[in-house]
Amino acid sequence: MKIKLTLLAVALASLSGAAAALDLGKMLEDHIKEELNKDRQTQPAPEAAPDAATPPQSKQKVDLRQLGQTLLTGYSLEEENRIGQQISGNLLGAVPLVRDDNLQNYVNLVGNWVAQQSGRQEITWRFGVLDTEAINAFAAPGGYIFVTKGLYRLLNNEAELAGVLGHEIAHVTGKHHLKLLKQSSLIGALGQAASSKAKDSDQMVQNLIGNGAEIMARRLDKDAEHEADRVGMVFAARAGYDPWGLPSVLQDMAALPAGDKRTSLLYKTHPHPADRLAALGEAVDGRLDAVRGKELADRFYRIR
Amino acid sequence: MKTTLIPAAALVLCVASATAWAAPGTVLRNEKLYSQPSASARVAANVPKGARVEILAKQGGWLRVKAGNSTGWIRLLSVRAGAGGLGGAGVGDVVGAATRRSDPSRVVAVAGLRGLNDEDLKRAQFNADELARMEALGVTAAQARSFARQSGVVAVKVAELPKPQPEQSSSPWGNN
Repeated sequence: MKIKLTLLAVALASLSGAAAALDLGKMLEDHIKEELNKDRQTQPAPEAAPDAATPPQSKQKVDLRQLGQTLLTGYSLEEENRIGQQISGNLLGAVPLVRDDNLQNYVNLVGNWVAQQSGRQEITWRFGVLDTEAINAFAAPGGYIFVTKGLYRLLNNEAELAGVLGHEIAHVTGKHHLKLLKQSSLIGALGQAASSKAKDSDQMVQNLIGNGAEIMARRLDKDAEHEADRVGMVFAARAGYDPWGLPSVLQDMAALPAGDKRTSLLYKTHPHPADRLAALGEAVDGRLDAVRGKELADRFYRIR
Repeated sequence: MKTTLIPAAALVLCVASATAWAAPGTVLRNEKLYSQPSASARVAANVPKGARVEILAKQGGWLRVKAGNSTGWIRLLSVRAGAGGLGGAGVGDVVGAATRRSDPSRVVAVAGLRGLNDEDLKRAQFNADELARMEALGVTAAQARSFARQSGVVAVKVAELPKPQPEQSSSPWGNN
Protein backbone atom coordinates (compact mmCIF):
# COMPACT_ATOMS: atom_id res chain seq x y z
CA MET A 1 0.00 0.00 0.00
CA LYS A 2 2.82 2.33 0.83
CA ILE A 3 4.36 1.69 -2.55
CA LYS A 4 1.06 2.44 -4.21
CA LEU A 5 0.68 5.77 -2.43
CA THR A 6 4.21 6.82 -3.22
CA LEU A 7 3.61 5.96 -6.82
CA LEU A 8 0.46 8.04 -6.87
CA ALA A 9 2.16 10.98 -5.30
CA VAL A 10 4.98 10.83 -7.79
CA ALA A 11 2.55 10.52 -10.65
CA LEU A 12 0.53 13.45 -9.40
CA ALA A 13 3.59 15.58 -9.23
CA SER A 14 4.74 14.63 -12.70
CA LEU A 15 1.34 15.11 -14.24
CA SER A 16 0.44 18.36 -12.58
CA GLY A 17 3.26 20.24 -14.23
CA ALA A 18 2.74 19.35 -17.85
CA ALA A 19 -0.92 18.50 -18.07
CA ALA A 20 -2.74 20.40 -15.36
CA ALA A 21 -4.27 22.78 -17.87
CA LEU A 22 -5.83 19.93 -19.80
CA ASP A 23 -9.15 18.45 -18.88
CA LEU A 24 -7.92 14.91 -19.00
CA GLY A 25 -4.93 15.82 -16.94
CA LYS A 26 -7.38 17.25 -14.44
CA MET A 27 -9.44 14.08 -14.64
CA LEU A 28 -6.42 12.00 -13.81
CA GLU A 29 -5.47 14.31 -10.99
CA ASP A 30 -8.92 14.02 -9.54
CA HIS A 31 -8.62 10.26 -9.71
CA ILE A 32 -5.34 10.37 -7.92
CA LYS A 33 -6.76 12.57 -5.16
CA GLU A 34 -9.76 10.31 -4.88
CA GLU A 35 -7.53 7.29 -4.54
CA LEU A 36 -5.44 9.01 -1.91
CA ASN A 37 -8.50 9.99 0.08
CA LYS A 38 -9.88 6.47 -0.18
CA ASP A 39 -6.67 5.10 1.25
CA ARG A 40 -6.64 7.67 4.02
CA GLN A 41 -10.13 6.73 5.03
CA THR A 42 -9.50 3.02 5.04
CA GLN A 43 -6.11 3.30 6.70
CA PRO A 44 -6.33 4.80 10.19
CA ALA A 45 -3.40 7.20 10.49
CA PRO A 46 -0.51 5.26 9.10
CA GLU A 47 2.63 6.75 10.52
CA ALA A 48 4.68 7.02 7.41
CA ALA A 49 1.86 7.68 4.99
CA PRO A 50 3.22 9.86 2.27
CA ASP A 51 0.98 12.60 0.98
CA ALA A 52 0.90 14.68 -2.14
CA ALA A 53 3.36 17.13 -0.59
CA THR A 54 6.07 14.52 -0.28
CA PRO A 55 8.77 15.48 -2.74
CA PRO A 56 8.97 12.95 -5.54
CA GLN A 57 12.14 11.01 -5.16
CA SER A 58 12.59 9.93 -8.71
CA LYS A 59 10.30 10.54 -11.63
CA GLN A 60 11.86 7.73 -13.56
CA LYS A 61 10.29 5.27 -11.17
CA VAL A 62 6.75 5.99 -12.39
CA ASP A 63 5.35 2.83 -13.85
CA LEU A 64 2.60 4.06 -16.17
CA ARG A 65 1.09 0.64 -16.58
CA GLN A 66 0.68 0.17 -12.86
CA LEU A 67 -0.42 3.75 -12.49
CA GLY A 68 -3.19 3.28 -15.03
CA GLN A 69 -4.50 0.17 -13.39
CA THR A 70 -4.39 1.76 -10.00
CA LEU A 71 -5.96 5.07 -10.89
CA LEU A 72 -8.79 4.37 -13.19
CA THR A 73 -10.91 2.18 -11.02
CA GLY A 74 -13.73 4.22 -12.50
CA TYR A 75 -14.52 7.17 -14.70
CA SER A 76 -16.80 9.91 -13.43
CA LEU A 77 -20.11 10.38 -15.19
CA GLU A 78 -18.73 13.51 -16.83
CA GLU A 79 -15.73 11.66 -18.20
CA GLU A 80 -17.92 8.81 -19.34
CA ASN A 81 -20.15 11.28 -21.20
CA ARG A 82 -17.20 13.01 -22.76
CA ILE A 83 -15.77 9.74 -24.03
CA GLY A 84 -19.19 8.60 -25.25
CA GLN A 85 -19.76 11.85 -27.12
CA GLN A 86 -16.45 11.58 -28.92
CA ILE A 87 -17.00 7.96 -29.92
CA SER A 88 -20.58 8.63 -30.99
CA GLY A 89 -19.70 11.73 -33.00
CA ASN A 90 -17.01 9.74 -34.78
CA LEU A 91 -19.33 6.81 -35.43
CA LEU A 92 -21.90 9.23 -36.86
CA GLY A 93 -19.13 10.56 -39.08
CA ALA A 94 -18.82 7.08 -40.57
CA VAL A 95 -22.56 6.54 -40.95
CA PRO A 96 -25.36 9.05 -40.35
CA LEU A 97 -28.75 8.54 -38.73
CA VAL A 98 -31.69 7.38 -40.84
CA ARG A 99 -33.62 10.50 -41.88
CA ASP A 100 -36.90 9.38 -40.31
CA ASP A 101 -37.74 11.24 -37.11
CA ASN A 102 -40.74 9.01 -36.39
CA LEU A 103 -38.48 5.97 -36.44
CA GLN A 104 -35.86 7.65 -34.25
CA ASN A 105 -38.51 8.84 -31.81
CA TYR A 106 -40.03 5.37 -31.58
CA VAL A 107 -36.67 3.74 -30.88
CA ASN A 108 -35.92 6.37 -28.22
CA LEU A 109 -39.26 5.78 -26.48
CA VAL A 110 -38.77 2.00 -26.37
CA GLY A 111 -35.08 2.25 -25.48
CA ASN A 112 -35.56 4.80 -22.73
CA TRP A 113 -38.24 2.62 -21.11
CA VAL A 114 -35.98 -0.44 -21.19
CA ALA A 115 -33.07 1.63 -19.86
CA GLN A 116 -35.21 2.72 -16.92
CA GLN A 117 -35.04 -0.88 -15.71
CA SER A 118 -31.25 -0.81 -15.73
CA GLY A 119 -30.70 1.02 -12.45
CA ARG A 120 -28.55 3.77 -14.03
CA GLN A 121 -31.02 6.63 -13.82
CA GLU A 122 -28.27 9.24 -13.84
CA ILE A 123 -27.53 8.55 -17.50
CA THR A 124 -29.14 10.53 -20.30
CA TRP A 125 -29.97 7.75 -22.74
CA ARG A 126 -30.05 8.43 -26.48
CA PHE A 127 -30.85 5.97 -29.21
CA GLY A 128 -30.32 6.15 -32.94
CA VAL A 129 -30.86 4.05 -36.04
CA LEU A 130 -27.84 4.21 -38.36
CA ASP A 131 -28.33 4.43 -42.10
CA THR A 132 -26.47 1.29 -43.17
CA GLU A 133 -27.59 -2.15 -44.29
CA ALA A 134 -24.87 -3.75 -42.14
CA ILE A 135 -26.40 -5.80 -39.34
CA ASN A 136 -25.02 -4.50 -36.07
CA ALA A 137 -25.62 -2.49 -32.93
CA PHE A 138 -23.27 -0.36 -30.88
CA ALA A 139 -23.09 1.09 -27.40
CA ALA A 140 -20.84 3.95 -26.36
CA PRO A 141 -20.17 5.02 -22.77
CA GLY A 142 -22.51 7.64 -21.37
CA GLY A 143 -25.64 6.01 -22.78
CA TYR A 144 -25.35 6.36 -26.57
CA ILE A 145 -26.98 3.36 -28.26
CA PHE A 146 -27.04 2.62 -31.98
CA VAL A 147 -28.86 0.04 -34.05
CA THR A 148 -28.26 -0.26 -37.78
CA LYS A 149 -31.08 -0.16 -40.29
CA GLY A 150 -29.95 -3.62 -41.42
CA LEU A 151 -30.51 -5.05 -37.95
CA TYR A 152 -33.75 -3.13 -37.52
CA ARG A 153 -35.07 -4.77 -40.69
CA LEU A 154 -34.60 -8.20 -39.08
CA LEU A 155 -36.93 -7.30 -36.22
CA ASN A 156 -40.54 -8.49 -36.10
CA ASN A 157 -41.94 -6.77 -33.03
CA GLU A 158 -41.25 -4.30 -30.22
CA ALA A 159 -40.09 -7.03 -27.83
CA GLU A 160 -37.28 -7.92 -30.23
CA LEU A 161 -36.25 -4.26 -30.43
CA ALA A 162 -36.36 -4.09 -26.63
CA GLY A 163 -34.13 -7.17 -26.43
CA VAL A 164 -31.54 -5.76 -28.83
CA LEU A 165 -31.52 -2.39 -27.04
CA GLY A 166 -31.37 -4.21 -23.70
CA HIS A 167 -28.15 -5.94 -24.81
CA GLU A 168 -26.57 -2.61 -25.73
CA ILE A 169 -27.83 -0.91 -22.55
CA ALA A 170 -26.17 -3.73 -20.61
CA HIS A 171 -22.84 -2.87 -22.26
CA VAL A 172 -23.20 0.65 -20.88
CA THR A 173 -24.30 -0.37 -17.38
CA GLY A 174 -21.55 -3.01 -17.33
CA LYS A 175 -19.09 -0.32 -18.53
CA HIS A 176 -17.63 -2.83 -20.94
CA HIS A 177 -16.12 -0.32 -23.35
CA LEU A 178 -14.71 1.74 -20.50
CA LYS A 179 -12.99 -1.40 -19.27
CA LEU A 180 -11.68 -2.01 -22.76
CA LEU A 181 -10.26 1.52 -22.81
CA LYS A 182 -8.75 1.02 -19.41
CA GLN A 183 -7.13 -2.20 -20.54
CA SER A 184 -5.78 -1.20 -23.89
CA SER A 185 -5.48 2.51 -24.57
CA LEU A 186 -4.91 4.02 -21.21
CA ILE A 187 -1.19 3.56 -21.08
CA GLY A 188 -0.71 5.45 -24.30
CA ALA A 189 -3.06 8.20 -23.21
CA LEU A 190 -1.25 8.60 -19.94
CA GLY A 191 1.98 8.94 -21.82
CA GLN A 192 0.40 11.63 -23.95
CA ALA A 193 -0.96 13.39 -20.90
CA ALA A 194 2.39 13.40 -19.19
CA SER A 195 4.25 14.65 -22.22
CA SER A 196 1.47 17.10 -23.06
CA LYS A 197 1.64 16.39 -26.76
CA ALA A 198 -2.07 16.79 -27.19
CA LYS A 199 -3.34 20.27 -27.94
CA ASP A 200 -6.68 20.22 -26.18
CA SER A 201 -9.04 18.00 -24.25
CA ASP A 202 -10.86 16.81 -27.39
CA GLN A 203 -7.53 15.60 -28.65
CA MET A 204 -6.89 13.93 -25.31
CA VAL A 205 -10.11 12.00 -25.44
CA GLN A 206 -9.47 11.10 -29.07
CA ASN A 207 -6.06 9.81 -28.10
CA LEU A 208 -7.72 7.72 -25.45
CA ILE A 209 -10.21 6.10 -27.81
CA GLY A 210 -7.90 5.68 -30.80
CA ASN A 211 -8.60 6.45 -34.45
CA GLY A 212 -12.12 7.54 -35.38
CA ALA A 213 -14.66 5.09 -34.05
CA GLU A 214 -12.38 2.08 -34.26
CA ILE A 215 -13.19 1.14 -30.67
CA MET A 216 -16.61 0.14 -32.04
CA ALA A 217 -14.85 -2.36 -34.30
CA ARG A 218 -12.93 -3.88 -31.44
CA ARG A 219 -13.97 -7.19 -29.98
CA LEU A 220 -15.03 -7.20 -26.36
CA ASP A 221 -14.23 -10.21 -24.23
CA LYS A 222 -16.77 -12.89 -25.13
CA ASP A 223 -17.79 -13.02 -21.48
CA ALA A 224 -18.84 -9.38 -21.82
CA GLU A 225 -21.06 -10.26 -24.77
CA HIS A 226 -22.62 -13.21 -22.96
CA GLU A 227 -23.16 -11.02 -19.90
CA ALA A 228 -24.85 -8.37 -22.06
CA ASP A 229 -27.13 -11.06 -23.49
CA ARG A 230 -28.18 -12.23 -20.03
CA VAL A 231 -28.58 -8.77 -18.57
CA GLY A 232 -30.24 -7.33 -21.68
CA MET A 233 -32.79 -10.11 -21.78
CA VAL A 234 -33.66 -9.41 -18.15
CA PHE A 235 -33.91 -5.63 -18.75
CA ALA A 236 -36.42 -6.24 -21.58
CA ALA A 237 -38.39 -8.68 -19.42
CA ARG A 238 -38.43 -6.20 -16.52
CA ALA A 239 -39.77 -3.57 -18.89
CA GLY A 240 -42.79 -5.80 -19.47
CA TYR A 241 -41.77 -7.23 -22.84
CA ASP A 242 -41.78 -10.85 -23.89
CA PRO A 243 -38.32 -12.00 -22.76
CA TRP A 244 -37.75 -14.03 -25.93
CA GLY A 245 -37.15 -11.00 -28.13
CA LEU A 246 -33.35 -11.06 -28.02
CA PRO A 247 -33.11 -14.86 -28.49
CA SER A 248 -35.48 -14.60 -31.47
CA VAL A 249 -33.24 -12.00 -33.10
CA LEU A 250 -30.20 -14.21 -32.45
CA GLN A 251 -32.07 -17.06 -34.15
CA ASP A 252 -32.78 -14.90 -37.19
CA MET A 253 -29.11 -13.92 -37.35
CA ALA A 254 -28.02 -17.56 -36.93
CA ALA A 255 -30.19 -18.45 -39.90
CA LEU A 256 -28.36 -16.02 -42.20
CA PRO A 257 -25.68 -17.58 -44.40
CA ALA A 258 -22.11 -17.16 -43.14
CA GLY A 259 -21.12 -15.33 -46.31
CA ASP A 260 -23.70 -12.57 -45.85
CA LYS A 261 -21.67 -9.37 -46.12
CA ARG A 262 -24.08 -7.54 -43.82
CA THR A 263 -22.74 -9.56 -40.88
CA SER A 264 -18.99 -9.40 -41.58
CA LEU A 265 -18.25 -6.70 -39.00
CA LEU A 266 -20.74 -8.17 -36.53
CA TYR A 267 -18.93 -11.51 -36.51
CA LYS A 268 -15.57 -9.82 -36.18
CA THR A 269 -16.70 -8.25 -32.93
CA HIS A 270 -19.23 -10.73 -31.52
CA PRO A 271 -19.31 -14.46 -30.87
CA HIS A 272 -21.41 -16.34 -33.40
CA PRO A 273 -25.15 -16.30 -32.57
CA ALA A 274 -25.09 -20.09 -32.19
CA ASP A 275 -22.57 -19.72 -29.36
CA ARG A 276 -24.57 -16.88 -27.83
CA LEU A 277 -27.77 -18.92 -27.92
CA ALA A 278 -26.02 -21.87 -26.28
CA ALA A 279 -24.52 -19.70 -23.51
CA LEU A 280 -27.82 -17.93 -22.93
CA GLY A 281 -29.63 -21.28 -22.81
CA GLU A 282 -27.36 -22.44 -20.00
CA ALA A 283 -28.13 -19.32 -17.99
CA VAL A 284 -31.87 -19.13 -18.66
CA ASP A 285 -32.97 -22.78 -18.63
CA GLY A 286 -36.48 -22.66 -17.10
CA ARG A 287 -35.96 -19.46 -15.11
CA LEU A 288 -38.12 -17.27 -17.33
CA ASP A 289 -40.89 -19.80 -17.95
CA ALA A 290 -43.31 -17.88 -15.73
CA VAL A 291 -42.57 -14.46 -17.22
CA ARG A 292 -45.33 -13.21 -19.46
CA GLY A 293 -44.61 -10.09 -21.45
CA LYS A 294 -45.87 -8.32 -24.52
CA GLU A 295 -44.49 -8.70 -28.06
CA LEU A 296 -46.34 -5.69 -29.49
CA ALA A 297 -46.05 -6.62 -33.16
CA ASP A 298 -48.87 -4.18 -34.00
CA ARG A 299 -47.16 -1.13 -32.56
CA PHE A 300 -43.77 -2.01 -34.05
CA TYR A 301 -42.61 0.78 -36.38
CA ARG A 302 -41.85 -0.68 -39.81
CA ILE A 303 -39.36 0.88 -42.17
CA ARG A 304 -39.20 0.63 -45.92
CA MET B 1 -50.25 -0.40 -46.78
CA LYS B 2 -48.49 -1.98 -43.88
CA THR B 3 -50.01 -5.37 -44.53
CA THR B 4 -48.60 -5.47 -48.06
CA LEU B 5 -45.19 -4.26 -46.99
CA ILE B 6 -44.62 -6.85 -44.31
CA PRO B 7 -44.71 -10.01 -46.44
CA ALA B 8 -42.73 -8.29 -49.17
CA ALA B 9 -39.97 -7.35 -46.77
CA ALA B 10 -39.96 -10.83 -45.31
CA LEU B 11 -39.58 -12.33 -48.78
CA VAL B 12 -36.75 -10.06 -49.87
CA LEU B 13 -34.74 -10.48 -46.69
CA CYS B 14 -35.68 -14.13 -46.37
CA VAL B 15 -36.49 -13.59 -42.71
CA ALA B 16 -38.69 -16.37 -41.51
CA SER B 17 -41.85 -15.17 -39.86
CA ALA B 18 -42.38 -15.79 -36.18
CA THR B 19 -44.94 -18.51 -36.67
CA ALA B 20 -43.93 -20.53 -39.72
CA TRP B 21 -40.25 -21.28 -40.02
CA ALA B 22 -39.78 -24.65 -41.69
CA ALA B 23 -36.09 -23.96 -41.41
CA PRO B 24 -33.19 -26.25 -40.55
CA GLY B 25 -31.77 -26.14 -37.05
CA THR B 26 -29.36 -27.90 -34.71
CA VAL B 27 -29.92 -28.89 -31.09
CA LEU B 28 -27.39 -27.11 -28.83
CA ARG B 29 -27.70 -29.27 -25.69
CA ASN B 30 -29.21 -32.60 -24.69
CA GLU B 31 -32.88 -31.78 -24.47
CA LYS B 32 -36.43 -33.05 -24.28
CA LEU B 33 -39.19 -32.67 -26.82
CA TYR B 34 -42.46 -31.88 -25.07
CA SER B 35 -45.95 -32.53 -26.40
CA GLN B 36 -46.89 -28.93 -25.52
CA PRO B 37 -44.83 -25.70 -25.17
CA SER B 38 -44.39 -26.24 -21.43
CA ALA B 39 -41.86 -28.03 -19.25
CA SER B 40 -44.72 -29.65 -17.37
CA ALA B 41 -46.11 -31.27 -20.52
CA ARG B 42 -45.55 -34.90 -21.48
CA VAL B 43 -42.09 -35.67 -22.83
CA ALA B 44 -42.43 -36.88 -26.40
CA ALA B 45 -38.78 -37.70 -27.00
CA ASN B 46 -35.21 -36.98 -25.98
CA VAL B 47 -32.93 -35.26 -28.48
CA PRO B 48 -29.13 -35.22 -28.18
CA LYS B 49 -26.85 -32.25 -28.63
CA GLY B 50 -25.95 -31.92 -32.28
CA ALA B 51 -29.16 -33.47 -33.62
CA ARG B 52 -30.51 -31.86 -36.78
CA VAL B 53 -34.11 -30.69 -36.56
CA GLU B 54 -36.62 -28.98 -38.76
CA ILE B 55 -38.11 -25.90 -37.14
CA LEU B 56 -41.85 -25.77 -37.80
CA ALA B 57 -43.15 -22.97 -35.59
CA LYS B 58 -42.29 -20.61 -32.77
CA GLN B 59 -44.33 -19.67 -29.73
CA GLY B 60 -42.84 -17.53 -26.97
CA GLY B 61 -39.79 -19.32 -25.63
CA TRP B 62 -40.56 -22.51 -27.51
CA LEU B 63 -39.98 -23.96 -30.96
CA ARG B 64 -42.02 -26.72 -32.50
CA VAL B 65 -39.54 -29.02 -34.25
CA LYS B 66 -39.38 -32.28 -36.11
CA ALA B 67 -36.47 -34.46 -34.99
CA GLY B 68 -36.25 -37.77 -36.79
CA ASN B 69 -39.68 -39.34 -36.47
CA SER B 70 -40.70 -37.23 -33.48
CA THR B 71 -42.38 -33.87 -33.44
CA GLY B 72 -42.69 -31.73 -30.34
CA TRP B 73 -41.78 -28.52 -28.53
CA ILE B 74 -38.25 -27.66 -27.48
CA ARG B 75 -36.87 -24.62 -25.65
CA LEU B 76 -36.02 -21.76 -28.04
CA LEU B 77 -32.55 -21.42 -26.55
CA SER B 78 -31.75 -25.13 -26.97
CA VAL B 79 -31.73 -24.89 -30.77
CA ARG B 80 -29.94 -22.73 -33.25
CA ALA B 81 -31.64 -21.93 -36.53
CA GLY B 82 -29.69 -22.16 -39.76
CA ALA B 83 -27.63 -24.73 -41.59
CA GLY B 84 -24.42 -24.07 -39.68
CA GLY B 85 -24.71 -26.84 -37.13
CA LEU B 86 -22.96 -26.75 -33.76
CA GLY B 87 -19.78 -25.19 -35.07
CA GLY B 88 -20.67 -21.56 -34.51
CA ALA B 89 -18.40 -19.52 -36.74
CA GLY B 90 -16.39 -22.64 -37.52
CA VAL B 91 -16.51 -25.26 -40.23
CA GLY B 92 -20.23 -25.84 -40.01
CA ASP B 93 -21.05 -22.40 -41.30
CA VAL B 94 -18.84 -22.66 -44.32
CA VAL B 95 -20.92 -25.64 -45.31
CA GLY B 96 -24.04 -23.67 -44.54
CA ALA B 97 -22.92 -20.79 -46.69
CA ALA B 98 -22.09 -23.08 -49.57
CA THR B 99 -25.47 -24.75 -49.49
CA ARG B 100 -27.29 -21.41 -49.31
CA ARG B 101 -25.37 -19.63 -52.00
CA SER B 102 -27.69 -20.94 -54.69
CA ASP B 103 -30.71 -19.38 -53.00
CA PRO B 104 -31.57 -16.51 -55.36
CA SER B 105 -33.45 -14.45 -52.77
CA ARG B 106 -30.29 -14.32 -50.66
CA VAL B 107 -28.22 -13.06 -53.53
CA VAL B 108 -30.70 -10.25 -54.14
CA ALA B 109 -30.64 -9.32 -50.48
CA VAL B 110 -26.87 -9.16 -50.24
CA ALA B 111 -25.94 -7.51 -53.53
CA GLY B 112 -25.13 -3.81 -53.72
CA LEU B 113 -25.54 -3.00 -50.05
CA ARG B 114 -23.81 -0.20 -48.29
CA GLY B 115 -21.87 -1.94 -45.56
CA LEU B 116 -19.88 -0.72 -42.60
CA ASN B 117 -16.44 -2.15 -41.96
CA ASP B 118 -13.65 -1.49 -39.53
CA GLU B 119 -11.80 0.70 -42.05
CA ASP B 120 -14.87 2.97 -42.30
CA LEU B 121 -14.87 3.25 -38.52
CA LYS B 122 -11.16 3.92 -38.27
CA ARG B 123 -11.30 6.70 -40.85
CA ALA B 124 -14.41 8.30 -39.35
CA GLN B 125 -14.30 12.02 -38.64
CA PHE B 126 -16.29 13.60 -35.83
CA ASN B 127 -19.70 14.80 -37.07
CA ALA B 128 -20.98 17.43 -34.65
CA ASP B 129 -24.21 18.10 -36.58
CA GLU B 130 -25.23 14.48 -36.57
CA LEU B 131 -24.41 14.14 -32.87
CA ALA B 132 -26.51 17.23 -32.11
CA ARG B 133 -29.32 15.66 -34.10
CA MET B 134 -29.11 12.53 -32.01
CA GLU B 135 -29.08 14.53 -28.77
CA ALA B 136 -32.16 16.43 -29.92
CA LEU B 137 -34.05 13.23 -30.73
CA GLY B 138 -33.73 11.92 -27.18
CA VAL B 139 -36.87 11.60 -25.07
CA THR B 140 -37.51 12.09 -21.36
CA ALA B 141 -38.12 9.28 -18.90
CA ALA B 142 -41.68 10.59 -18.45
CA GLN B 143 -42.35 10.41 -22.20
CA ALA B 144 -41.05 6.84 -22.30
CA ARG B 145 -43.17 5.81 -19.31
CA SER B 146 -46.22 7.30 -20.93
CA PHE B 147 -45.50 5.47 -24.18
CA ALA B 148 -45.17 2.17 -22.31
CA ARG B 149 -48.44 2.78 -20.48
CA GLN B 150 -50.25 3.39 -23.78
CA SER B 151 -49.82 -0.24 -24.77
CA GLY B 152 -50.20 -1.67 -21.29
CA VAL B 153 -46.51 -2.50 -20.94
CA VAL B 154 -45.90 -2.75 -17.20
CA ALA B 155 -42.59 -3.11 -15.38
CA VAL B 156 -42.27 -6.41 -13.53
CA LYS B 157 -39.73 -7.90 -11.16
CA VAL B 158 -37.40 -10.37 -12.84
CA ALA B 159 -34.40 -11.81 -11.04
CA GLU B 160 -30.92 -11.53 -12.51
CA LEU B 161 -29.73 -14.55 -14.45
CA PRO B 162 -26.76 -16.38 -12.95
CA LYS B 163 -23.53 -16.61 -14.85
CA PRO B 164 -23.37 -20.24 -15.99
CA GLN B 165 -20.83 -22.46 -14.28
CA PRO B 166 -18.17 -23.61 -14.75
CA GLU B 167 -16.36 -20.37 -15.45
CA GLN B 168 -14.72 -20.45 -18.83
CA SER B 169 -12.19 -17.78 -18.06
CA SER B 170 -11.04 -15.53 -15.28
CA SER B 171 -11.38 -12.30 -17.21
CA PRO B 172 -12.36 -9.04 -15.56
CA TRP B 173 -15.75 -8.88 -17.30
CA GLY B 174 -17.70 -10.53 -14.50
CA ASN B 175 -20.85 -9.21 -12.92
CA ASN B 176 -20.50 -5.71 -11.65
